[in-house]
Amino acid sequence: MSITLDQVTKRYQGSPVVNDVSLDIGDGEFFVLLGPSGSGKSTLLRAVAGLTGVDHGRIALHGRDVTHLAARRRGVGLVFQNYALFRHMSVADNIEFALRVRRMRAGARRARRKELLRLVALEGMDDRLPAQLSGGQQQRVAVARALAHKPEVLLLDEPFGALDAKIREELRRTIRQVQRELGITTVLVTHDQEEAFALADRIGVMNYGRLLEMGRPDDLYARPATRFVATFLGAANLLLARQTHRGICFGSDPVLTRGGDGAQSAREHEVVAVLRPEEIELGASRDSLRSVYMAHGSVEEILFSGALERMRVRLGDGITDAHVMRADNGADSAYLEVTRTQHEQRVFPLSPGQEVAIGVRRLHVLPTPLSSFTACGADAADAQAIGRQPFLTELAARMKTRVATRIEPALGNLDGDGGDGAEFGGAAVISAARAAAHGGAAQCAAWLMRRGAEEVFVLPEEIPAPRRVLIHWVDETARRATLAVSASLLRHLSAEAVYIGILPDDGAVDAQRPLGVRALLDARSEAQAMHGLEMRTELRFGDVAAELARRLGESPDQLLILGISDIDELTRFAPLFAVPGRALLIVYQPAGAASRRP
Amino acid sequence: MPQTSFRQPSVLPGFGLTFGFTTFFLSAIVLIPLAALVLMAASMQWSEFLRVVLSARALGSYRLSFGASLLAASINLVFGFIIAWTLVRYEFPGRKVIDALIDMPFALPTAVSGIALTTVFAQNGLLGHYLSLLGIQVAYTWIGVTIALTLIGMPFMVRTLQPAISEVQRELEDAAETLGAGRLYVFRRIILPTVLPAMLTGFTLAFARAVGEYGSVIFIAGNLPMKTEITPLLIVIHLQEFDYHGAAALGFVMLVISFAVLLTINVLHGWGRRHLVATAH
Repeated sequence: MSITLDQVTKRYQGSPVVNDVSLDIGDGEFFVLLGPSGSGKSTLLRAVAGLTGVDHGRIALHGRDVTHLAARRRGVGLVFQNYALFRHMSVADNIEFALRVRRMRAGARRARRKELLRLVALEGMDDRLPAQLSGGQQQRVAVARALAHKPEVLLLDEPFGALDAKIREELRRTIRQVQRELGITTVLVTHDQEEAFALADRIGVMNYGRLLEMGRPDDLYARPATRFVATFLGAANLLLARQTHRGICFGSDPVLTRGGDGAQSAREHEVVAVLRPEEIELGASRDSLRSVYMAHGSVEEILFSGALERMRVRLGDGITDAHVMRADNGADSAYLEVTRTQHEQRVFPLSPGQEVAIGVRRLHVLPTPLSSFTACGADAADAQAIGRQPFLTELAARMKTRVATRIEPALGNLDGDGGDGAEFGGAAVISAARAAAHGGAAQCAAWLMRRGAEEVFVLPEEIPAPRRVLIHWVDETARRATLAVSASLLRHLSAEAVYIGILPDDGAVDAQRPLGVRALLDARSEAQAMHGLEMRTELRFGDVAAELARRLGESPDQLLILGISDIDELTRFAPLFAVPGRALLIVYQPAGAASRRP
Repeated sequence: MPQTSFRQPSVLPGFGLTFGFTTFFLSAIVLIPLAALVLMAASMQWSEFLRVVLSARALGSYRLSFGASLLAASINLVFGFIIAWTLVRYEFPGRKVIDALIDMPFALPTAVSGIALTTVFAQNGLLGHYLSLLGIQVAYTWIGVTIALTLIGMPFMVRTLQPAISEVQRELEDAAETLGAGRLYVFRRIILPTVLPAMLTGFTLAFARAVGEYGSVIFIAGNLPMKTEITPLLIVIHLQEFDYHGAAALGFVMLVISFAVLLTINVLHGWGRRHLVATAH
């Protein structure tokens, strides 16, 4: 491996900007770190270069640990967005800078410089000053300068950001060519997915400091695992669908009959489906579609953009706005984005207002267990108030999902049967304060779980943005489900994950420690391998509920995810519900039951 | 079209008017008074002129005035750079306050700073007491004069350097570091060449201000002829004796020396820029 990152964390004023990133980049690989601004990708690149220290974790280059090595000894080449050329030096002096520092003889320097100028197609520019070159040429000089000392790794920080489209394309080609010719391991940071597709052998997508997914560009595009990657890599319609024994349904008829491995699950449940704009077929009627019929709709708006026609289609016919998840489109979001090729346009010309039948060529179901939220209250006022909880609305917006409300008049009432029996869409949410009138939060959570809720979120009226998410499961049955939910939630929070392992304090603490540590490592590697979740671990001794309550009470910006397999266990955790002002997410996974969670 | 190049759009009225105003203004407040000074000096007998400007007392005052001014400007070159660097590069509590304090010597009546310095550095003063225990006497010596001139010139240096230092992008240092350069190498080859023009300008301004300084120096200097008497003071002494010609002669000499020093620095400035660009590596 050329570059190995192991749980690299960088905090800025207490909150992590790079959060537990582990990554292996192979020899000669072109790796692109893709993410929106503020996702921590540039910080990670600077950490690899040695310009930023890390607070936790390890960085190795070619098997050599460089975590505490100064930038100038790491042997990397770095190219900046604004070129960072030395303006008072000629092109020749800029390129030879690293060689002069290394006291290379003048003849050898000149030969190396000529070679590099040829490589970046700038022969004969030796005596120019940077100010006399165009932006594209300056960046070529910067690339040549970064390669002069034959670094083992080339790092590029948004190198095309300041250039216009045409030169960008040209320089992109040059860089790809240089990279192939030298076979140098390269990491490029960008926010431009088109650039990532054009250059990368592999892409790593970052958001909130976390490396969400990694993979070949075509794999990531076709089979994203997270909402963020689905929408950041190209356009995507995110839809809430129902997974039934017949397949994936939006209305009454299944759109997709083979629904991934979860299809065999006996229970119906809600899933998040990704529908790419180009995978949608529009036809005059249901019978004229060559793909599977999904719904009817009307064309709202058509934009011509060269090769493709882009349009928005308003959904009707059984599919309501409740299914469309793109919350960032605004409140009125019952639209599908559709693109059509020139060929499709000629076969079936469309104009705004026209009624169409919508067909689906290909649908991808995200393996995320947290599809949406349902705020539950004993009356409408309660449910709505919970639905407006600031943390919940922020989380729902980040997950591009919705918060439904549900009125359960008999909430928490142990005698009444109550509940309308309908499926819970996603996680149920209750208010810690409002639950007090209905037998307490623990009792309400248990009540909801008995009626089918698989996750119950207990929220106080207001909480600070969590910086740490504590994870614990009571027994191994709940492990998989707890990890899946934790991974899904943590993708949308700028918080670190800490798994708390607790062993009974029976006086033989030292004898038990190795066992406990092994369990922690198992949990950590499963989280990493199965869910792409990096977590820290802590080992404690004592009573489970008391230790968790103590840990949770330590600081207000913490959230606890607790996995249980027996609803009656919840009574044991009363001390947790007593910690004021903390959010709890309880994940319920009964033994033997098929999980809908991936 | 050729005509358009003469009519450059601007907020202020046309070139003719502004140029006329510039010439008038410069003449009225700079050139005419200076010409009057030269005329006054020129109306003296040659021998009389030489007697005044070459007297032992006058020579001593030149040495102090220009020597202390150069020394003060040099001190500011080093410490002004450090202050400006700290203010530009670091965020710390009280940064704004310190930044505002830099301008204090601009605003304070020079006599006030002179009296304050004298109080502090006199033998029984706050700092002067400890310095005198070490055998260093500051007040009423050339050291005191230099300190006063340093204080007066400091804001010129800092204010000139601040924008230049903020121009040195951090990326340049980062780039040099990843290319293998150590700190000293980065400072010598990257930072210094970039801020050098501003350093020379700051030096020039601080020096010019120090040569002309009167108010703050006379309190701390002690004004012993030949020893701690600056040229501006000697001019005032001549004036008090109604020896206008003598005063003008000394003023003329100051004018010539100042002009020569400033010209030299400017030439150095241009040469340094060309030289640095040509051979920097």
